[in-house]
Amino acid sequence: MLRHLRLMFCFAKFSLLGELAFRSNFLLKILVELIWLGILLTFFKTIFGKSSNVAGWNEHEFLFFVGAYYALEGFVETFFLENCVEFSELVRSGNLDFCLLKPIDPQFFITLRRVDWSTAPKILLGFIMISFAMYEIGKPLELWKVPLFLILFLCGCSLAYSFLLLLTALSVWMIRNQSLMEVWWLFTNLMRYPRQIYDSEWALPIRMVFGFIIPALLAVSIPVEFAVKEINIEFTLFLFVIAVVYFKLSRMFFNYSLKYYRSASS
Amino acid sequence: MIVIKTNNLSKQFRVYEKPAGLIGSLKSLFNNKFKEIHAVENINLEIHEGEIVGFLGPNGAGKTTTLKMLSGLLFPTNGNATVLGYVPWERPVEFRKAFSLVMGQKSQLWWDLPASDSFELHKEIYKIDPVKFKKNVGELTEIFQVANLLNKPVRELSLGERMKLELIASLLHDPKLLLLDEPTIGLDVVAQSAMHRCLYEFNQTRKITILLTSHYMRDVETLCSRILVISGGKMVYDGQLQGLKDEFGKEKLIKIQFKNLVPDQVFSKFEQLEITGGIVRLRVSKNDVPSVLAVVSQCEEVLDISIEDPPIEEVIEKLFVSHRSKSL
Repeated sequence: MLRHLRLMFCFAKFSLLGELAFRSNFLLKILVELIWLGILLTFFKTIFGKSSNVAGWNEHEFLFFVGAYYALEGFVETFFLENCVEFSELVRSGNLDFCLLKPIDPQFFITLRRVDWSTAPKILLGFIMISFAMYEIGKPLELWKVPLFLILFLCGCSLAYSFLLLLTALSVWMIRNQSLMEVWWLFTNLMRYPRQIYDSEWALPIRMVFGFIIPALLAVSIPVEFAVKEINIEFTLFLFVIAVVYFKLSRMFFNYSLKYYRSASS
Repeated sequence: MIVIKTNNLSKQFRVYEKPAGLIGSLKSLFNNKFKEIHAVENINLEIHEGEIVGFLGPNGAGKTTTLKMLSGLLFPTNGNATVLGYVPWERPVEFRKAFSLVMGQKSQLWWDLPASDSFELHKEIYKIDPVKFKKNVGELTEIFQVANLLNKPVRELSLGERMKLELIASLLHDPKLLLLDEPTIGLDVVAQSAMHRCLYEFNQTRKITILLTSHYMRDVETLCSRILVISGGKMVYDGQLQGLKDEFGKEKLIKIQFKNLVPDQVFSKFEQLEITGGIVRLRVSKNDVPSVLAVVSQCEEVLDISIEDPPIEEVIEKLFVSHRSKSL
């Protein structure tokens, strides 16, 4: 465990050094992320300028949700997304060889070896939004809820990571896997809004598939509901269990896929 | 001590065959055709501790596939192997710590960072003791004479400089076995010689076992006393380099450059491979080299003359043809 933390620290350090070698690119990426946040908040303000309630969520609760989503997206993008997107290129070029030869867990090395620091401010901004929303709600989060909220938030991150890992593993067979980003974009859109917006009858298939089988709808909704709404024990436990199950499944599938890696020619 | 032992090691690949053109591509959407390729067939070999063994063969002969099976990257279709006492494709951590694979065409250093940063990362990944790490970096940078390059971003290094640093990275954890896949590809003669010197020194001082593939006869001549030749996935020679050269390298290639046109008829009794303007290229038996030199000495305005061994692939091809005709 300690060794893995040391390695993560090294990955983070060398990634930062690498990013800083191209400072203007790094700063531009941060600027784009801030513009995205501005658009998200403008959209949010516009909606609540016309309505005080969206699918049972008031403005401040919804702001909490937006903050949690933004932090989760930032977490996945900072630590995993770039590595997973790059994986198909590693397979295609045969450079995956070097990752597999290292005496460390391949999944750990492949999915964590580069940290995208330009998206790291999103995590901080997300938690600032959460804190601001909490202040606006006027009822501070009970102390006992804080660690549980963080655990559920990490379960949501783990679920998102597992989806990404399952998609990544497919690259071993598909070699070129540009569709990975498309499917990931679909998942992020499902996580972006509270699950209650799919409560209508016509949305039942979406609710069933993405609420239970591929539970992307729960990744942000359940931790936030736990914090600002009535606690739904069943769903809270379900998120915890499904996060563990998906993590194990995706890890097994990833390791299985590596057995089919053929390596490129020299 | 036996470092590598294989028993009928074989690998088949299933290769997708796509017909050419748009219609072919559309057809292949519904009717995929595959072909079985026998990349490596029944390889049996034994390599002992401290040996430097050259692994030769034409392109597509199965050299890299064999190296990748020995390093655990590929699962064999048949046969078995032990490397340093481990079954390589089970990839135990202790095995991965005990060897290194260096590929001349690929880099494992971080492109935008100085090599010293990549070395630091290696230290953590291989759990190298800090005192040993410092000692190894010092010794290796001295042997390879690259102390002044450690803090330059890798992308700004020449190919020769980068390859030296790649080798250092692969040696930091004191591997017992070094698998080198075309380590000198693209390097100029000076860089090749430096690489030979370093590898030889390292082999002598640390008794590291080296298996290297190369298309350059110089690599093999300088470093290896024993060679393995593979062709069409099959092992066709395992023995001393001198034996192969004596048996199949009985010819020399001579290139003579004149200031003006090549004189008429002077070289007609030798096999002429090419005459263009002032340059003539001949293929002669080793015994005829003095005769050619005697003829050249009587010519006027000779600018340059070079005598070379035939390309290694040509020697190997002869070996393969001979092997095939024997097996028929």
